[in-house]
Amino acid sequence: MMRRLLCSFLIFAASPLAAADDFDITAIVETHVVPRYEMLAGQTQALAREASVGCSAAAPDTAPGLLSAYHAAFDAWVGVGHLRFGPSEQDDRAFALAFWPDPRGSTPKALAGLVKSRDAAVNAPDEFAEISVAARGFYALEFLLFDAQFAQPRDAAYRCALIQAVTKDISSNAAAILAGWQNGYGALMSNPGNDTYRTPAEAAKQLFTALSTGLEFTSLTRLGRPMGTYDRPRPNRAEARRSERSLRHVLLSLAATRELTELISAGNEAVDKAFADAIQRAEALDDPTLAGVADPQGRFRVEVLQQSIDVIRRILSQEIGPELGIAAGFNSLDGD
Amino acid sequence: MPDRRTFIAGMLAAGLAPRPTWADAGSPAFLSAGKKPDGAYVLCGLTTEGQITFQLPLPTRGHAAAAHPRLAEAVAFARRPGTYAIVLDCITGREKARLSAPPGRHFYGHGTYSADGDVLFTTENDFDAARGVVGIWDARRDFARMGEFPSGGVGPHDIKLMPDGASLVVANGGIETHPETGRVKLNIPSMRSTLSYLSLDGELLGQVRLDKAHQKNSIRHLAVSATGDVAFAMQWQGDLAVDLPLLGVHRIETGRLDLVERASVRHMSGYLGSVAIAKDGKSIAATSPRAGIVQEFAGAEYVGETSIADVCGVAAAASGFVLTSGAGLVKPPSGPDVLHDVAWDNHLIAI
Repeated sequence: MMRRLLCSFLIFAASPLAAADDFDITAIVETHVVPRYEMLAGQTQALAREASVGCSAAAPDTAPGLLSAYHAAFDAWVGVGHLRFGPSEQDDRAFALAFWPDPRGSTPKALAGLVKSRDAAVNAPDEFAEISVAARGFYALEFLLFDAQFAQPRDAAYRCALIQAVTKDISSNAAAILAGWQNGYGALMSNPGNDTYRTPAEAAKQLFTALSTGLEFTSLTRLGRPMGTYDRPRPNRAEARRSERSLRHVLLSLAATRELTELISAGNEAVDKAFADAIQRAEALDDPTLAGVADPQGRFRVEVLQQSIDVIRRILSQEIGPELGIAAGFNSLDGD
Repeated sequence: MPDRRTFIAGMLAAGLAPRPTWADAGSPAFLSAGKKPDGAYVLCGLTTEGQITFQLPLPTRGHAAAAHPRLAEAVAFARRPGTYAIVLDCITGREKARLSAPPGRHFYGHGTYSADGDVLFTTENDFDAARGVVGIWDARRDFARMGEFPSGGVGPHDIKLMPDGASLVVANGGIETHPETGRVKLNIPSMRSTLSYLSLDGELLGQVRLDKAHQKNSIRHLAVSATGDVAFAMQWQGDLAVDLPLLGVHRIETGRLDLVERASVRHMSGYLGSVAIAKDGKSIAATSPRAGIVQEFAGAEYVGETSIADVCGVAAAASGFVLTSGAGLVKPPSGPDVLHDVAWDNHLIAI
């Protein structure tokens, strides 16, 4: 069979990704990826520092400095949340930074277990880095800072130690991802022809996939999850609603993916207009926790926002992708 | 003058005829789900030469199908996380029965009949417990639910009947998902995939778990030879910079396990879509739609490979393999290729 196959299908092997050379991968790494991971490393370092001084057994009430550092660092994470490949995936760093969605409630369960047993892993960063990702990262930190379940006075001292351990772990993961990009991975991507990226087309495809996946996550998960169904909206499933960041994440992720889109498809007016529409609709929502999904009118407005993000996704998959020679196959994108 | 198929359909409607067999459905050798240019989803019968013998509508995107060993009856599974499967009469196109996943369960898209065709086994997710189960359905009584048993792991995907007819092999992909979060993978850092052998009443007869380097290698699809060799195709869930094999061959009798180096994460884009073992029991073909490559092996020995865009479906013909692609191609083992206006979905199922 094989020899005959080899003869008749060389034509498919030659299918080109030449157009993918059209955009500047080095520029994307240097002006989009690395600066954003630098921001994350810097903000999470500040967060860990605030936690080390802004929370103590004597003063368990969370200091304002810690809260603003939390928001700034979480912002920085959402700004790189679409860049899930390479250093972020090594040693499950991104999972440890961001364990969400969490349909079975693993994060509060895992945290409650630590609190109840007064687990000593909080005193040893190496040990803490080995505990379940559900109890680590920004979403765990949000529970610790904002959920009444973890605000029991008798737990105050341990909670504080846990906040310090979580923020230290966040900071060290962010630093490791940045180091990965600066010490090798950025060069592999910018200079294809190595074992990780054999051709510029492979690097281009990775960036395009990250962009598409990031927008899909915002549409289907960030918005789709609280929307639930028409008969049963699920406002309690909104992302980071305890710290009122749900809509903010939609806006931040749109801004970040818009920046990457501009670098990939400079001059595509349709996609730029689609981003402007979606951002305008998101801003007009004025509903930080997306709680509006609970009533039909509010849900409709969120649905319209979701559709406007899907317009961007459609332009990417049907126009920009094919123009770049990155057409997604029926099976290759299925993932099953 | 009605042809034989119309005639039989009429007889059936009148409740007169014996139940029709695959010969009455135009003797298709294979089943495949697909998508038409107008966006409609279908289940088709295909001959070894690549001709369509029947084309029946499906309500949503299919994944795999299970063919009754004798009767012209097929179960078409919706794409994960579907909660129903449709049993089709492949002569009339009539929906004979519909399987609805019980509360708290969804299908993964694969299933297999028992050797006599009386029972259907399906892979399912007990999602609130993050536990894989095998559902048991009574094919003789309108596919009534008979029960279930644990699949031996998380995220069971493909399931095949072993040649002894008395046991099943299940690919537990290891990945936790939940219908609330669609296809988002929830446990990649802690996932562990297993290949599990189970008796028909659910006793765990044996289990293969790859070593720690393979922690993110998800066993998804299976092919079983007449003598009991199990080829398993994997999908890598980590960064693509590693170089691990995505194809393995296991034999439960001897415990022998071979990993096939050339079917590597790097070369096959981290993703095998389907695997088949030839009728001779030796040749193995594995496809990667992401790499656009089909590889052939003799046992674990590399024979060769070919580039075919979006290739995924593969099944053994009388000799050699038939391949299908998302671009509509059917590639028979000999004779000309056939191009249809159907984007062939992941799997080509031998009848």
